[in-house]
Amino acid sequence: MGRFILRRALTSLLVALGIVFLVTLILDLIPGDPVVMILGQNATAEQVAALRRELGLDRPLLLRYAEYIGRAVTGDLGRSIMTRRPVAAEVAEAWPNTLLLAATAIGIAVALGIGLGAVSALRPNGWVDFGVRLLALLGLSMPIFWVGLVFIYIFGFYLRLLPIGGSGTPQHLVLPAVTLALPSVALIARMTRSSLLEVLGEDYVRTARAKGLSEPAVLLGHALKNALIPVVTVIGLQFGQLLGGAILTETVFAWPGLGRLVVLAIFARDYPLLQGIVLIFAFSYVVVNLLVDLAYAWLDPRITYA
Amino acid sequence: MSGDRVRPDQVSGLSRREFLGRSLALGLGGAALGVLGACAPAATTGPQSQPPAQAQPKRGGTLTIVRPIDAVSLDPTNDTTAAGGWVATNIFESLLRLDYDMSLKPWLAERWEQVAPDRWRFYLRQGVKFHDGTDLDAEAVKISVERAISPQSRAASFFRGIKGAEVRDGYTVDILTEGPYGPLLRAVSTWFMSIVSPAALQKYGQDFGRNPVGTGPFKFVEWRTNASITIERWEGYWGDKAYLDRVIYKVVPEESNRMLALQTGEADMVFIPALAQVGQFKRDNRFVVHEVDGLRVVFFGFNVNRPPVNDVRVRQAINLAFDRKPVIDNILEGNALPATSYVSPGIVGYKDLSQYWAYDPRRAEELLRQAGYSKGSDGFWAKDGQRLSLKHYSPRGRYPKDAEISEAFQAAMRQFGIQVDLQILEWGTLLNKYTRTGLDAELGTLGWTDVPADAHYTLGALFACASIPPNGFNGMEYCNPAVDELTARGRANPDEAQRGQLYAQAFEMMAKDAVLVPVYNTKETIITSAAVKGYRIHKSEYLDWLQYTWLDK
Amino acid sequence: MGSRTEEALRPVGTAPALVSGLRRFARNRAAVVGAVIVGLLVFTALFAERLMPYDPTLQRLELRRQPPTAAHPLGTDEFGRDILSRVILGSRVTLLVSLVAVGVGLGLGGTAGLVAGFAGRWVDELLMRVMDILLSFPYLLLAIAVVAALGPGERNIVLAIGIWSAPAFARLVRGQVLAIKEREFIVAAYAVGVPVVRVVLLHVLPNIVPPLLVFATLYMANAILLEAALSFLGLGVQPPWPSWGLMVATGRDFLLIAPHVATIPGLAIMLAVLGFNLLGDGLRDLLDPRLRNRL
Repeated sequence: MGRFILRRALTSLLVALGIVFLVTLILDLIPGDPVVMILGQNATAEQVAALRRELGLDRPLLLRYAEYIGRAVTGDLGRSIMTRRPVAAEVAEAWPNTLLLAATAIGIAVALGIGLGAVSALRPNGWVDFGVRLLALLGLSMPIFWVGLVFIYIFGFYLRLLPIGGSGTPQHLVLPAVTLALPSVALIARMTRSSLLEVLGEDYVRTARAKGLSEPAVLLGHALKNALIPVVTVIGLQFGQLLGGAILTETVFAWPGLGRLVVLAIFARDYPLLQGIVLIFAFSYVVVNLLVDLAYAWLDPRITYA
Repeated sequence: MSGDRVRPDQVSGLSRREFLGRSLALGLGGAALGVLGACAPAATTGPQSQPPAQAQPKRGGTLTIVRPIDAVSLDPTNDTTAAGGWVATNIFESLLRLDYDMSLKPWLAERWEQVAPDRWRFYLRQGVKFHDGTDLDAEAVKISVERAISPQSRAASFFRGIKGAEVRDGYTVDILTEGPYGPLLRAVSTWFMSIVSPAALQKYGQDFGRNPVGTGPFKFVEWRTNASITIERWEGYWGDKAYLDRVIYKVVPEESNRMLALQTGEADMVFIPALAQVGQFKRDNRFVVHEVDGLRVVFFGFNVNRPPVNDVRVRQAINLAFDRKPVIDNILEGNALPATSYVSPGIVGYKDLSQYWAYDPRRAEELLRQAGYSKGSDGFWAKDGQRLSLKHYSPRGRYPKDAEISEAFQAAMRQFGIQVDLQILEWGTLLNKYTRTGLDAELGTLGWTDVPADAHYTLGALFACASIPPNGFNGMEYCNPAVDELTARGRANPDEAQRGQLYAQAFEMMAKDAVLVPVYNTKETIITSAAVKGYRIHKSEYLDWLQYTWLDK
Repeated sequence: MGSRTEEALRPVGTAPALVSGLRRFARNRAAVVGAVIVGLLVFTALFAERLMPYDPTLQRLELRRQPPTAAHPLGTDEFGRDILSRVILGSRVTLLVSLVAVGVGLGLGGTAGLVAGFAGRWVDELLMRVMDILLSFPYLLLAIAVVAALGPGERNIVLAIGIWSAPAFARLVRGQVLAIKEREFIVAAYAVGVPVVRVVLLHVLPNIVPPLLVFATLYMANAILLEAALSFLGLGVQPPWPSWGLMVATGRDFLLIAPHVATIPGLAIMLAVLGFNLLGDGLRDLLDPRLRNRL
C-alpha cells in the first residue's frame, strides 16, 4: 500500500508539472502581451520594453519554465503582473473561498445525491423514483449560469431571503453552493440509484435477505458500501471539477474565489498569477484523485494495486 | 429631482465662517491656521462646494457602493483604471484638482506660478498631514512627482513632458518640464500624480498599492481582493471632515445583480448601472439618477492604409451613411450623447465638428459613385466586380455596449449596401492588434478618454506618426505631419485658449480626412438611493469624491 | 473457430439484433421522448431557412425587447430581431457544435485510447498521463487559447470543446480495449493467426461501439452546455449569427425588464440537453445495462 501511494504521488507530481508546463507553453502562444494589457492605452514603447525585461518575458520558454519551477519549490510564485502583489498572497486569499464553496457544494451534493438515489432505488419505477429521475435530468440539463441568475432573482429579490451576491456571511454561501451543487446532485443521484439497483440484485444481497436481515440492515450494511464504489469515482471527479470549474458560479454570484481570479488572469494575460493558480488546481486535482483511490481501497478490499 | 447638484457659485459666508470657527476651536497651531484661514481663497475648502443649505447633513453611516470590477492597485502610479480611481481619489489628493466644471482649482497647492518656460513653482498648503501622521512637505511632493514619471509608473505616458521636481524650501517645490509644456497644470491635476506619503512608501515598498497612505478625507481600512475595499473617515483631515463614517466598495460583476442590490437596499450606490433600466429608476423617487456628460468618445477607427478605406471618399461616405441617432436612442437607451468631435466637450481642444458626419445617405452615395462604386442588383456597392466589404473588430464589454453598437453598425451598413464582417475579439487579443501587430482589418471599435483633459495627449497617443504600432496606439496608421506640427505647437503654448485652437485645427483636419467614425460620447451615470445626499457626479469617470456625501437614514 | 466464438465475435449491429433492439427501445418511453426531441432538433437545424418567419439578422431597433405577441411569437431581442427565427437558426449552431466537437473528441481521444490500450506499458502510461493533464486543465484557459490563437467563431470553439472532451473518450476506449483484450475469443483469434489490425477492425471496434455511442450522446449534451458557457464568457459565434448560449449571455443584462430574451434560449438549451440525455440513457439501457456504473 505504501509503495502504491508513493508511486501514485510521484506520477501525480509529474502530472502537476506537466500541467504547469502546458500552461506556460500555451501562454506563450496566445497573442496578447501582458505588459501591453496592463499599460494599456497609456504605454510608451520604451515602457513596454522595460517592463518586459523587468518581468523576464524576453527570455526563452524552457528557461522561464525551469526558473519558475525552481522558485516555486521554495514557495516563491512570483508577482502578479496586474497587481504587483506576490502570487502566493493572491492565491492564498482566493483559494479558501473556492475551497469553501466547492466543499459545501460537494457536501450538499453527496448528502442529497446519495439520499435521493437510495430512496429512488428502494422502489424502482415508482412515483418517487420517477420524480427523482426527472429532477436529476433537469438538474443535469440546465445551464448553471442561468440557474444562478434565476435563483438570485427569486431568493434575492423576490423573496428577499438571501443576499444578492458577494461573500462574508453564511447566508452568502447558500445560493452559490446550491447552484454549484445542482449538476453534481443529479449525477450522484443517478449513479447511486443505478449502482444500488445493480448491487441489490446480486447474490450476496439475496443471501443476506434470505438470512432474515431486515431491509435497512441489508441496505446499509451490505449493499450501500459496495454500491458506493462507482459513486466515489463520480464524487471525486466532481469535486475536482468543482474546484477548477466554479468560474461561472463565482462570476454570477460575485464570489471572490480562484475561478473568478483565473478568468481575470486569463483576460489580463497575467502569466505568473495564471501559473500559480493552475499549479494549485493541478495539485488539488491530483490530491483528490489520490483520495478517491484510497477510498476505493477502503470500500472494497478486493481491489488490489499492482 | 437630482437636487444634489451644487452650483459652484454657491459659496456663502457660511463656508469661511465655518472654517475659521473650526480652526479656532481646534486650537492646533491655531495661529498658523487662523492666518491661513484668513488668506485662503474664499472658494472651497476641499474638492467640492458646500452641500445645499436646505438639508442639514447628518454625520455617520456606512455607504455601500457596488461596481463591476475591483481595483488593480491603490497606488496611483500602478493602476490607471477607473476602478482604482474611484477609491484612490478619496484617499489621495493632488496639487491641483480638476473641478466639476473642468477648471483647475487649488488643492494641496495653494498658489502656483510659471517662473521659467520650463519651470513651474508650487506653494504648498501647510499643516496638512498624511494618514500616518507625517507632514506634507515639498520633499513628499518631489518624491511623488518623480515616482509618477518614472519608467516603472504605469501612468508615465501622461507625463512625457515632465522632467522632474526640485525642492525650494519646506513648502515650495518646482516642477521641471522638457521645454515649454503648456498642459503642465492639467497633467499635475491627474490622480496619478497624487501626493503619497514617503514614510509609507519606505515602510511598505512594493506593497504600497495594498496599503495606500495619502492626505485625503478618507483613509484606507482593508481590501478583500475581488470582494470589497473599505475606507473610513479620517479625523485628521486638513479641510472639512467627511460626513460618512465608512465607505465600502463591493464588486458585483453582473449588471442585473447590481441593480437588484440597489433595489433591495444592499447597496446605496451603483457604478455602471444597467442602461436599460435607467429610465425606470428615474421615475422611481426612492432613487436618484445622477448623470453628466462624460469624457470618453467611442468610435470606429479606420486603418487608413488598407484598401478600400484608404480612399478618403469611402471613409467619408461611411461616416455619412451611418445614422447614429437610433443607435444612441435604442441601444444606449438615450444614455449617451452623439459624438461631436474626436474628444469630449470640456477637453482643451474640443470643437464641434459634427457636421463632418451628419447623417446624409444621398451625399454618401454620391461620394461612393465618385470613388468608382455602383450599386449592384444585389443591393450592395461594388467596384470592378468586387463587393465593398469591410472587416471590423470589436471588443465586448470593454466600453458600454461596444459590441452592440458595432452590430448595429453592421446592420445599418447592410441596409445601405456595404457588407461588414464583424468579429468580436477578446480584449487582450484586440489590444495586441492596436498596439503591437497593427490592425489587420478596415475598422476597429475603440474608446478613448483624454485623461489629462488636454487634447495633446490624444493627438500624440492616437494620431501621431510616431505612435503607429508597434510604437504606440495609432492603429489607424494615420500620419499627417501637419497634424503633428499643430500638436507640438499647442503643447508648447502655456495659454490654454491658444492651445485649444491649435488642437481644434488638427482635429478639423482629421475630420475632413474622416480618420474615425465617431459614434457616441459617454454620459456618466450613477444611481443612488434617495437617502444618499450631497453627492455630485463628475464628468471624469475616474473621479468620485465623497467628502460631502452623507446618508439621510 | 467454433460457432460459439463466432457468435461472441458477432457485433451487435446485425439485422435480427437491430430489430429486436428497436422494439425494446420503443418500449422505453423516456428514450422515445429523447429521440423525438433530438429528431426535432435535427429537423429544425436542417430546414431552418424554410422554418424561420423572419430574417434572423434583421434589426428593427424601435421594436426592441418586445414580449411575445402574435407578430413575434417569442418576442424580440435587444436589436428588435425576431427571437423565434433566431432560436430556429441557433439550433443549427447547437447541433453542429455538439456533433462536431464530440466527433473531434472521439477521434482524438478514441485513437489515443486505442493506441494506449493495445500498446500497453509505457505508451499506455504516457498517454494516460497526458490525458490526466488535459482533464485537469482549466477548460476556460484552453478555450481562450484556441480562440485567441485561431480567431473567434464556432469552428474554433468546436476545436476547444473537442480537445476538452478527448480525455474522457480516451479513458473509455482504453477501458473497453483492456476489457476486451483479455477475452477468450480475442486471444483465440490471435492464436489462430488473425492479424492485429483485422482483429481491431472486425472485432474490437464493433464491440466498443455501443458504449461509445451512449457516451457520445451524453457528451453531446455536455458540449452544448459548454458552448453556452463559453459564449457566456465572450468567446464564440460571431454576430450577427445566433447561438443559444450567446443569446442567453447577451440577454442576461435585461433579465429584470425583459426576461424572455435570456430565458427562451435558456429553455431551448435545456430542452436539447434533456433530449440528448434521455436518448443516451435509452441507448445505454438498450445496448448494455451493465454500462450504468461505468458511465
